[in-house]
Amino acid sequence: MSMEISSLTPGVLVDTPAARVAVQPAAGRLSLRARKAALPALGAALGVSLPTRIGQRAAGGGIEAICLGPDEWTILTPADAVAGLLAAGAGVDHPHSLVDISARELTLRIQGPRAADLLTLACPRDIDTIPVGEGRRTVFDGATVVLWRDGENSFRMDIWNSFAPHLARLMGIGARELAAEPA
Amino acid sequence: MLLIHCPYCDETLPEAEFTYAGEAHVIRPPDPSALSDDDWQGFLFIRSNTRGPHYERWRHFHGCGRFFNAVRDTVSDRFLTTYPAGQPRPALETLTAASEDRK
Amino acid sequence: MSQYRVPGRGRVDLSRPVDFTFDGRSYRGAQGDSVASALLANGVHLMGRSFKYHRPRGAIAAGSEEPNALIGTSRGAGRFEPNTRATMQEIWQGLETTSQNKFPSLKWDVGAVNDAAYMLFSAGFYYKTFMWPKSFWNKVYEPFIRAAAGLGTAPTEADPDQYASRYLHCDLLIVGAGPAGLAAARAAMAEGLRIVIVDENAEPGGSLLSEPQARIDGLPAWDWLDDELAALKAAGVRIMTRTTAIGYYHYNMLALCERVTDHLPSLPADTPRERMWRVRARQVVLAQGALEKPLVFHGNDRPGVMLAGAAQTYLNRYGVKVGNAPVVVTSHDSAWYAGFDLQEAGARVQAIVDTRPHVRDDLMDQARALGIPVRLSHTVTATSGRLRVSGVRVNPVSGAAVGAGQQITCDALLMSGGWTPSLHLFSHTQGKLAWDDDLTTFLPHETREACVIAGAGRGLWGIEAALTDGAARGREVAAALGHPGNPAAVSVENDRPGSGVSQKELPTDRNPGRAKAFVDYQNDVTAKDLRLAVREGMRSIEHVKRYTTNGMATDQGKMSNINGLNIAADALGRPAPQVGLTTFRPPYTPTTFGAFAGYQRGAHFEVTRKTPIDPWAEAHGAVFEPVGQWRRARYFPQPGEDMDTAVRRECRQTRESVGIFDASTLGKIEVVGPDAVTFMERMYTNPWAKLGVGRCRYGLLLGDDGYIRDDGVIGRMAEGRFHVTTTTGGAARVMNMMEDYLQTEWPDLDVWLTSTTEQWSTIALNGPNAAKLLAPLVEGVELTEDAFPHMACIECTVAGMPARLFRVSFTGEIGFEVNVPAPLGRKLWEILWDAGQQYGIVAYGTEAMHVLRAEKGYIIVGQDTDGTVTPYDAGMGWAVGKKKPDFVGKRGLARPDLAAKGRKQLVGLLTEDRSKLEEGAQIVFDPNQPIPMKMVGHVTSSYHSDAAGRPIALALVEGGHDRMGEVVHIPMPDRTIAAKITGTVFVDPENTRLKI
Repeated sequence: MSMEISSLTPGVLVDTPAARVAVQPAAGRLSLRARKAALPALGAALGVSLPTRIGQRAAGGGIEAICLGPDEWTILTPADAVAGLLAAGAGVDHPHSLVDISARELTLRIQGPRAADLLTLACPRDIDTIPVGEGRRTVFDGATVVLWRDGENSFRMDIWNSFAPHLARLMGIGARELAAEPA
Repeated sequence: MLLIHCPYCDETLPEAEFTYAGEAHVIRPPDPSALSDDDWQGFLFIRSNTRGPHYERWRHFHGCGRFFNAVRDTVSDRFLTTYPAGQPRPALETLTAASEDRK
Repeated sequence: MSQYRVPGRGRVDLSRPVDFTFDGRSYRGAQGDSVASALLANGVHLMGRSFKYHRPRGAIAAGSEEPNALIGTSRGAGRFEPNTRATMQEIWQGLETTSQNKFPSLKWDVGAVNDAAYMLFSAGFYYKTFMWPKSFWNKVYEPFIRAAAGLGTAPTEADPDQYASRYLHCDLLIVGAGPAGLAAARAAMAEGLRIVIVDENAEPGGSLLSEPQARIDGLPAWDWLDDELAALKAAGVRIMTRTTAIGYYHYNMLALCERVTDHLPSLPADTPRERMWRVRARQVVLAQGALEKPLVFHGNDRPGVMLAGAAQTYLNRYGVKVGNAPVVVTSHDSAWYAGFDLQEAGARVQAIVDTRPHVRDDLMDQARALGIPVRLSHTVTATSGRLRVSGVRVNPVSGAAVGAGQQITCDALLMSGGWTPSLHLFSHTQGKLAWDDDLTTFLPHETREACVIAGAGRGLWGIEAALTDGAARGREVAAALGHPGNPAAVSVENDRPGSGVSQKELPTDRNPGRAKAFVDYQNDVTAKDLRLAVREGMRSIEHVKRYTTNGMATDQGKMSNINGLNIAADALGRPAPQVGLTTFRPPYTPTTFGAFAGYQRGAHFEVTRKTPIDPWAEAHGAVFEPVGQWRRARYFPQPGEDMDTAVRRECRQTRESVGIFDASTLGKIEVVGPDAVTFMERMYTNPWAKLGVGRCRYGLLLGDDGYIRDDGVIGRMAEGRFHVTTTTGGAARVMNMMEDYLQTEWPDLDVWLTSTTEQWSTIALNGPNAAKLLAPLVEGVELTEDAFPHMACIECTVAGMPARLFRVSFTGEIGFEVNVPAPLGRKLWEILWDAGQQYGIVAYGTEAMHVLRAEKGYIIVGQDTDGTVTPYDAGMGWAVGKKKPDFVGKRGLARPDLAAKGRKQLVGLLTEDRSKLEEGAQIVFDPNQPIPMKMVGHVTSSYHSDAAGRPIALALVEGGHDRMGEVVHIPMPDRTIAAKITGTVFVDPENTRLKI
């Protein structure tokens, strides 16, 4: 991996016996903001039941939703479904905000026997307190990230584009460092 | 590094996820133009600088993004409680016992 | 094998010899040796020179508290480490070590003249000596002090090693893997509990490693230790060795520094040298044990004089006799055992000298049985020997009377003044200490942290006491964690509990004013210095500490604090608990900067944000500059161009034809909701209600104090949707401010904010040919003056990409900002670049952008404003919606001071001699006034301007708006420059160039 990367394209960043970190292909991503009263209508329009506890996730009809704040959700969807969802949201009568952020960030997939340990290099929160199947917005090496825990040692990390090279560099260092540790 | 309980996330998390946001319960007057210069100056600049339990604001910046209120003892640097923005000040008498509960 | 190695003793592996060098000479040690133990095994006691007097010194301890035996270690370029404690550095094949503080050699050191001039260098020497004449300070005194100061030599090469850091969360962290810590873990461990034990030594065991004679539950101590460690590991307890708990912070956060490779003969790939662990533990057990105190007497620093406990460790852990004819001098039972062990290992102990009149019968009996002469009620008044102790003078004491001295020949002197609980980490918690009269020491008392102390750390001596207390504390923390804990009953045979008395300096029959009785070895502080400090008026222990530097060396007073306190208290005539202890601060032991920096060095020093177009700029030779966290292209020099030439070319081509600029770093916020316009009305000074969809406006953001915070162009994309832009550096701050007002002042508003800074790549095109270049690529709008006038915005398609197109100008030329989804930014840039070749398109950087905007008088918030500038000060009263009932800053602008005359106001400056001013230069009205002159403002922006035909500047000047045409003066080091105050617009004041 070049130390001077300034943009990342989908593919494997680093692959060691400890952890494998890959940039995921681009996906559709929407930021939804609304009060609780609007949730049933918005859920129906978007086709996913929106979870209400921060960190909780829901999935259905090819899209995933995570609750990030008391009035905030991120919706993941195939890239070609974004326009349809925006249109569906526009039809909902309750006040809300639906903003396309597909181009704002990219996703790293972090897997391998030491994947959770790799996150401890720069995430000050206790990774063990994120249940499998949930997610959290938190901080990693100075950047705000959304961490999706898909398995004990399988994570996705959403990061804003401009922070990606910095974080990717640390992922590379860390995956190699963990692999070099004596058993 | 402090541990802070976010009342919205209901999790106790490292300080690195939070930013400090000044004294709490300083409410912007609904019609600032109606205020005298002295009153407006008081709102803008005068803060309590408390020794002991201090009502203050934090933001869960790298989390749910919400501003919330806290009572922190400025001598011991321990939080006595945190609560959502907009809620009234909790009475101090009710707090001292709860201070060490969150271990 | 050397005559000091004792076969059958110690844990080093004599079958695995290890060769290393010390001051160029080769020595052989064994696998498991420290540098100190290996040198002692070779009969070498002289390991360093002291800091101030350059006195010869040897290892006095065997652990991290060692103050004397500081060495340099080397493993190649950039890998030289000064001030390493020889007692902690493990040897490996090929390790090179050197002594410090000596010239030309350790044995013949010219600095040792300081020792002869001892009387001159007493406490406060620097304060008294370097006072006058004042003129000597810069040229004579400071260079002298600097040359003499500093411990060890810093390497000059860059450190080639990697350093690491990690967070660790656990239920229970136990500091110290001695008997108390291990017992605590055993008693607390339970399914699902995350327990971590940390120890600074190479192997766990603590005092058990020095006490193999003990039998625990019927097993020899070391066998019991092996079983115990295996059981803990099997239960999932994590044991971290070579890892020092350096600091204890709020809410049970501890910093641990792990030394990963310093003990390895070769460096493994991808492995950091050190790793900083930031641990958050729900419960903490401090089981750090106790530190032995030296006795304070004349000559107590001679090589060969060492702590009795250290001698015992060297013998039992490393298999090294520190001498063949040692003398023991003590005020505590524990040192007797060191004498017994050495005698049994073949040394001839010359005497055990105890200051106490009575000693336990069993100790007396054992000494007699081993044939060791004993002297009770004795003091030590001197030692002899040059580079190694060769004799000790002992005197009987009867009441206050010290009898005649008698010389005993020896080759080592083992001393013990009793033990001090290791209080450092506990003190980091702001924990309160309590004085214990029986032990004459401070013990940990109360702390706010979820922390308990076990074993010798709270004054309990002996293995059985440590195991029993450790288990009890383990169950206590288990209960706090909601577990019952595990029962434990241990039996210990051959335990060595003991007691003793605490001493100030030992009584002497000689003039105590001439005694070199050291309290702080590393800083060369003597008992006499402490008494002198009190005599000269120091009353607080904190002042005594600073005046004498007692406890201020890199060992942080581990050995000196209690002795220093006892002596200062005696001199003050007050009881020790009333005098109190100085504050212990992190780190517990010296820690490298690398460990603190971790990954944050070199290319990874800090977050560097880059735009999608950044790679193009890099490929086209851009010179970058940091702006906030971003790196931005500053200019694009062509071969042979300096910055000035490149910027002039970029400006000229933009004004003559067209320039392209990466504006992606501008902050962008999508404001959406039915109350969006209400929110905008309240946040910004400008009126928004009448701004039509498809139009944009320059917005000015104030704080409630009335001062400018940020600015940017804001487009209305739909009735309830605004595309807000902010300055590059202000994006996060503005978002935070808006969220604050929205969440806490106006939570009733139905409007939400989403950061879209990184959703969009923003490309600015400026220049007379900008519309011509762009028009063929745009679908959805005609780029004509009527269809798409200045300050219009639209969602359309550019080069087939979905885009938000703004017609705005930050140059005074026809201007567009094209926003496309970020990953498409580079592609669009290249399309525009190619299409622009026919117009001679130029890529310009932030420097040209600054010139072009300054020529038009457009401000940069944070450069032309400084947080005390109002819109009126900046000449932008036109942006203030005076009819609005309220907006953030409206009431602030009405404050008397903000409406007063004589405020600093933004103006243009043109120098009379056509020279370019320095940004930041101060301005005065009268250059002939006496110094200090009254400064009336400063230059905020200054550039060469080809478009204006001369250098131009912006400045904040007192009452500037009323001083048009007046001349002000800018005093510089070599001359004073006169400049005329003008308006801020230097080019095209009628804005004719904006028209297509």
